[in-house]
Formats: sequence, structure tokens, C-alpha cells
Amino acid sequence: MIRSLFGNGRFRLSFSLIALIVVTALVGPRLDDRNPLFAVGGRYDEPSSQIWLGTDAIGNDVFLQLMHGLGTSLYIGLVAGVVATLIGVAIGTLSGYIGGLLDEILMGFTNILITVPTIVILVLLSVALQNRSTLLLGVIIGVTSWPWTARAVRAQTSSLKTREHVDVAKLSGAGTFGVIMREILPYMMSYVVMAFVLQLSSGVLNEAGLSLLGLGPSQSISLGKMLQSALQGEALRTGAYWAILPQTILLSVIAFSLLLLQSSLDEFFNPRLRRR
Amino acid sequence: MNPFGRYLLNKLFWYLLAFVAAMALNFFLPRLIPGNPVDAIVSQMAQGGGASGEAMQRVYDTYIVEFGLDKSPLEQFISYLGNLFRGDLGTSLGNYPTSVNSLIGAALPWTLALQLPTILLGWILGNILGALAAYKGGWVDRGAFLGSLAFSSIPYYGLAILLLYTFAVALPWFPTGGAYGFASSPSWTWGFIADAFRHYLLPFLSLLLVVIGGQAIGMRSMAIYELGADYVGYERSLGLREPRIVRGIFRNAMLPQITGLALSIGALAGGALITEIVFSYPGLGTVLFDAIRQNDYPVIQGVTMLITVAVLAANFLVDLTYGLIDPRIRTAHGAGA
Amino acid sequence: MAALLSVQNLRAAYRLANGVELHAVDDVSIDLREGEVLGVVGESGCGKSTLATILALNAAPPLYVKSGTMQVQGRHADLTESDPLPRSERGKLISTLPQSAMNAMNPTTRVRDLAYDVLRAHERTTRKAAWGRAGARLEQLGLPTRVLERYPHELSGGMRQRVITVISTLLDPTILIADEPTSALDVSSQRAVVEMLKDLLARKIISGVLFITHDLPLLRHIADRVAVMYAGKVAELGPTERVINTPEHPYARALVGSILVPEPHIRAARVLGIPGSPPDLAAMPKGCRFHPRCPLADTRSREEVPPLVEVGDSGSHFAACWRTLEARQLLAGNLVGGPDGRVG
Ligand code: SF4
Repeated sequence: MIRSLFGNGRFRLSFSLIALIVVTALVGPRLDDRNPLFAVGGRYDEPSSQIWLGTDAIGNDVFLQLMHGLGTSLYIGLVAGVVATLIGVAIGTLSGYIGGLLDEILMGFTNILITVPTIVILVLLSVALQNRSTLLLGVIIGVTSWPWTARAVRAQTSSLKTREHVDVAKLSGAGTFGVIMREILPYMMSYVVMAFVLQLSSGVLNEAGLSLLGLGPSQSISLGKMLQSALQGEALRTGAYWAILPQTILLSVIAFSLLLLQSSLDEFFNPRLRRR
Repeated sequence: MNPFGRYLLNKLFWYLLAFVAAMALNFFLPRLIPGNPVDAIVSQMAQGGGASGEAMQRVYDTYIVEFGLDKSPLEQFISYLGNLFRGDLGTSLGNYPTSVNSLIGAALPWTLALQLPTILLGWILGNILGALAAYKGGWVDRGAFLGSLAFSSIPYYGLAILLLYTFAVALPWFPTGGAYGFASSPSWTWGFIADAFRHYLLPFLSLLLVVIGGQAIGMRSMAIYELGADYVGYERSLGLREPRIVRGIFRNAMLPQITGLALSIGALAGGALITEIVFSYPGLGTVLFDAIRQNDYPVIQGVTMLITVAVLAANFLVDLTYGLIDPRIRTAHGAGA
Repeated sequence: MAALLSVQNLRAAYRLANGVELHAVDDVSIDLREGEVLGVVGESGCGKSTLATILALNAAPPLYVKSGTMQVQGRHADLTESDPLPRSERGKLISTLPQSAMNAMNPTTRVRDLAYDVLRAHERTTRKAAWGRAGARLEQLGLPTRVLERYPHELSGGMRQRVITVISTLLDPTILIADEPTSALDVSSQRAVVEMLKDLLARKIISGVLFITHDLPLLRHIADRVAVMYAGKVAELGPTERVINTPEHPYARALVGSILVPEPHIRAARVLGIPGSPPDLAAMPKGCRFHPRCPLADTRSREEVPPLVEVGDSGSHFAACWRTLEARQLLAGNLVGGPDGRVG
């Protein structure tokens, strides 16, 4: 299975990109122990052999910030992805497996959250919570983006629960929780993994979006906050492309490779999508 | 009741519920800020200097009354609802004493001018591209698919920044921001319209490409699915002309795309806000950004409320259209929504 | 009797992603006569549906036709081509009646619009005229004309299948390929469809039907002749009554025995049953394909492929089995028919 997965060009490409990004985020900050918030030069110094990507509006080393910001962004995305996937899977399986009134209530709630624009809830929550650590920001993003996962998981669960092995488990006296954990979840792991990949990507992007609105993590550098300070510092109009393009491109590459990964997994798990 | 009426009522019920939920969030979340929000605001304003003590007291009193902080929470909520339904969004803190209504009123046309054409045109072009990719296959498909994937995965602001840098800074073909040049002021003259158009093109394009990408991907997979459907083989073996068959396929693939449109409107609204910030476009996004910077809660609440209402209304409109188009809903026998 | 449709040496395979080819139809030759219903029966995976797909001119990757020609009313067609018949002939010379009307009808098209599309694809017509013709045909066959206004999901399953039968024969096709048209229906709807096919033949709206099914008893009510398929080959072919009452091929005997109410003269065969399952297309047994499951298999069965040759003296009953052949030879002292696999 793993081998045929690697036979897919899109999977190979996205997997290598993601591996590269993660390794950079883990190793990058350790290569240089200087404080990224410490000015090393003047306003928008051009890239040089010393300062690879030049400096930003207040003289910080862009490359150094990039290394630290990448980790923060991935961390927030990861927290958001885990939180959203956990809530989504919990609500989706309960709703789909138990059904009835509980299903109606949970899905009604889910659908309401889907229709109210996420950005609105995000902005209101972030405004209400004045001191946002990276962990808190990840959780905020996570609790606003689970409804998609819940909906997909519910659909999977309701089709899985009519399978024979579920009946057998029920007859042999397994409880609701046991059946969900042993007879339902393992059979839709592929969907859960794909949903997680999407949540991860939207988590990273939402962090950047919030930061751009001025609602980023309070004390840390993230790719989003770097974007915001570059935009506020008029990096583009000053021609200081080095202070704004790296984080833009990095964010886009992260999003692109995660989506590519998801689409190759989707094609792998659902052969129906493959061309006949 | 006929099936379509039932479908409509069911939808209406959920949208109303969503609206109430959004209103509750709008009301309660800003009140979660520890301490009296008015104290926080006023002390912040005082730090900034500028206003005299007497003016400060006036501002303070205004907000105590406006937030209704002298009343019970229930009364507060009721008066909040009352104001909302009268269309009164309150007074801005950052631009005292401008009303939130007039701030939003000035920004709204720009936002609408940016978003409505992107949604409609992007949806149409994206569906054509996706259908073409699915039908032609081969290199057309690979190219269109990878391109769409790239454009739909790049965040809105990412594409906005890349376009802005390439076509306004590196190649100075377009202005670097704003909705019109400093020299001109809004009027219905050809000169102004041309100027506004030059400012409009880049933000418009950056949103449009993302919408096209997202819609094309959805359409492509729906069309591939439909191309393999049994009825295609049956119609071919009855000798139907290819254009007829293809028309049927794409009409069917289109239906889920209409729902897809409803779902992407919310995301687009959010993305467009940030695109406005990148281009310093004087729409709701920029208003929201300034409001957040100044902790201007009435404006934040007003903008979020407006976005919610607009997105819910747009969604409802799309659902309505869908119900009118799909015979399976129009004439369904007891099938749910 | 003149052959309406004559299929020669048809071979077809499914090509898998890893390059392996599964031969689903292997050297099948079949004739359909004027005014007859030829039943094709077998277990799932025997190649009968693949045969139907190819004859309905619907073969598409991963199914590839390796060889085979077809003759319809003097027209010659090479089945290995991607379009064996021009579009204008499809639906007119050969039409198809699919298994599930629900899947075969576009869910967002009304019956009348499908009828219009079908007629318009072959002749100049107006919407009104096309609806009129479809309505007249429905009435002629005893169906209400109001179904024209309906979408597929608004019709009951049985009605849907009868409506699609009308659509399939709207162009008065010479030959109708019916692929399990009754499998998804209840008994009374099954009968209605069968009666409708007979009616269409009697009225000479269609001239011949190839009726593919796994339901041997059903063929008693409709088929003039029956071909029993096993592992991509025709095992036995003959008049319906003869194949059912006196099957010659051990597989046909087992099939008849396992399905039909046993009558005295075939009770012995019923004891046999069919142990095992049809062979894996990827690992086809050498020699006679039935030999792993056949109680009569001998060395020759395991080595050489038996040809389809005439058995009995009616001139119309054929079987592909060495042991049957030997028994005949012992009886008659000579070999009947040729070993070229040609039938009918
Ligand atoms: S040829 Fe041999 S194995 Fe095949 S059916 Fe006849 S007896 Fe059985």
C-alpha cells in the first residue's frame, strides 16, 4: 500500500515538500540561537551574505524570523487541526451512530456554525480574548472549523453502522463507545486523516488571516504576524520584497502541498475519482 | 404542502436559527472582555491624549447609555435587538462621533463592487474550466487541474501580495493601492471611472483567480463522476448526439456546484476582507482592520453583523435557486432537504 | 433461417492498472434469428454482461475488444473499432435495454425530453411531434401517456423499467440487447416487462432480442433458444426446452439441476449440484474451463479445450464437452459438426 502510494507523483511531490518544511521548522531555529526579535540592522536593509533575507521595517533579520515564525505557524495549525478533528470526529460519530433526536440537534448546531461565516466568529472570539497565546489561538481556530469534519464523519458513520460487523459487535454486548472506537473509527481512518490534513492547512492559513487583521498571537512571531508587519510597514510599496515575499511564498507552498497531499490521498482511497 | 414549500420552510427555519446564534455571539462576546468595556475603551482613548477631561466624560456617558450598562443583561439584550432592527449600529469609538452606519455605508459600495462580480464571474468561469478539464482529459485536464489546485490553495492574501508586487511594484503597470488616485475624487466622470478601474483590476483579479480555481476543482470531480454514470452509456448506445449528452452531464454536475457556491460565499467574504487590507481598498475589510486596531467595538460588531446577514442572505438565495432548478427537490416525494 | 445478427469470434478483455488482462469473453460466436429471443444465461462473472456491453456498442476502457466481427442485416462491423457502427445506426439497428432504469435515465430529464432527444438524434422532428409519437407508442403498449411528464424518480420501479423499454424501442430497432432487464424487479413487474417484449416482437416493432439473465426459469417464458455461458465461453446452446430438459454439458446440467424444480429425468443431475465457484479470470484453468468443478473430468479435459459441436439430431443443439462428444461418437460412430467453434 505504501509503495503504491509513492507511485503517485502528486503524493511524492507533496510529501517531500511537507517533509522539507517540517524539518526546516524543527532544525532552523536551532542553527542560530540569536533572538529573532533583536534588531541586527536598519530599516529594510537589502539581503546580504550576512543577513540572507535582509531586514524588516524595524531592522530584524527576516531569515531568522522566518525560521521561528514557521514553527509557530505550524504549531498553531497543528493545534487547530487536532482540536477541529477531535471535536468533528466526536460529534460526527455520535450524531451518525446514535441518530434520532441527538442527531438532529447536533447536526442543526453544526449547520448553523457552517452558515455563519467563520471569519466573523474568529474575529469576535479573538477580540473577546485579549491575551492570545499560540496555544489559545490554535484552540480558537480549531473550535470554529470543526463543523466540516463533523458533517463528513457523520455521513461516513451512518453508512458504516449498517455493516454486519457492527451488528455482531452490538449483539455481543459492546457499548456505544466501544462500537464507535473499535467497529466504526478504524474503518474510516482514511477519511479522518484527509480531514485532518485539510484542517491543518486551514489552521495555518487562518492564523495568517487573523494576524493580518491584527488579531495574531500576542507574544510570538508567526508567518502571519510577519506578513502583517510587512504590510503595515509598507514593505511592498518601498520595494522591500525580501521582507514580504518569503513568508507569502512559504504560506502558499504550505497550503499548496497540504492540498496536493489531500487530493492524492483522496484519489488513492477513493478509486472512483480516478479516471476510467 | 407542496414539496418545494416544505423545502423552503425548512431552510428558512435554519437560517433564522443561524441568524439568532450570530446575533447572540455578537452581543455576548465583546462583553466577555474583563472589566467594564467602556472603562477600557475610554482609558485607552485617554492614553492617546487628544481629548479633554470634559469631552472624555461625555464620551463615557454616551457609551454607558449605548451599551446600556446601567441595565440588567436581559434589558441590554432587548435594547440591543431593538437598535439592530431599527438599523442603528451605534456610534464609532475611533471616529467619534461618526455613526457606525455612515462608516459602513461609505465602505459597503467598494466591497460589493469587489465581491459580487468575483463571485458570479468566478463561479461561471470556474465551472466552464472544470467541465472542460473533465471532458477533454489528458493534458488539458492535468494543466487545468494543477493550475486550479495551485490557485485555490494559495491564500487570498498570498495571491494578492504576489500580484501587487509583480504588477504594481516590479512592473509599475498598476497603482499600488487604494480605490482611486489621490488627485481624483469620486464622481461619475469617465476620467474617474477609468482611474477607479485601474485600481480595481488587481484586487479583483486576485480574488477572481482563487474563486475560479476552487470552483473548477469542484466541477471537475463532479463532472468526472457524472461522465462515468450509467445514463451516459445508455444515451450513447441510443445514438444521442454528443452535445446533447454532454449538456445533460454538465447540468447534473452543475447542481452540486450551486450548493458549493453557497458554501464558498462565507469563505470568500472573509478572504475579500483581507484582500482589501493588502490593497488598502476602502471597503469593509479596511474598516474592520482599523476598528480592531483601535478597539472600536461598535464598528467591529457592526461589520461582523453585516457580513453575517449578507452571507446568510446570499446562502438562502442560492438554496432557493437550487430548489427551483433541481426537479428532485421541486417534485420530490417527501424527500428531506 | 436467416440470421438477423451474427457475431463471430468475439474476444474481449479487461486491462487492469498493473497491465494484467482478464479475458472475460473468449472466442464467442452467436447468431440471432429473425423473430426470436435468444437467452444467455450463466453465473455472475461468466462473461454474459461483458457480451451485452460489447453488443450494445458500449465497450469502453478498461474493457478492450481483441477480435470479433458482427453482421447485422447485411451490414458488417468490426467490433475492435472504437465506433463499430456510426452514431446514426446506434439505437436503430441495435438498441439496448439496461438493467436499472433508475441509473440509465438522467435524473434531471423528463421522460418526454429523453424521448425527444432520442428521436431527434435520428430524424428531423419537432418537440410536439416527438411527444406525440412517444405517447402513441406508450398507449399502443398499454401504458398511460402521462408518464411522459414525469421525472424518473417520480415513477415506480416497475413502471420505470417498462417506460425505458418503450424508450429503447422507440426507433423500431432491429435488435434489442436486454441486459438483465428484470433482475431488479418484483415478480409481477418482471412479467409485465417480459410480456411487453413479446408484444414488441409480435407487432414486429423489433425483430430479435438477446436476453441476458442469470435467471434460467425466466427464460422458459420468453426465450426460443438458450446459450449457457461459463468462464467466457459458450458451454451449451440449443432450443430452450431441450437445454432445460435434457442438458448435455455437465455445467448446464448442474445449473439446471441447482435451479429448477427437479423433474424425474433430471433428478440424478441435481444430486451433483455445483461445487466450487467460477474460475478466477486471472488464473484460467487449462483445457476445459469447467474441469476443476466437473465430476466427469478426465485427462483430455485438463489438457485440451473442447469445441462447441452439435449434439443430438435436431441440428440445433450444441455443447462443448469432451465426454458428451465421446458418448455421441460411441453412439453414432462419427463426429458431428466441425471443431471451429462456430454455432447456430
Ligand atoms: S470437457 Fe471434461 S471437464 Fe469439461 S465439462 Fe466435459 S467432462 Fe467436464
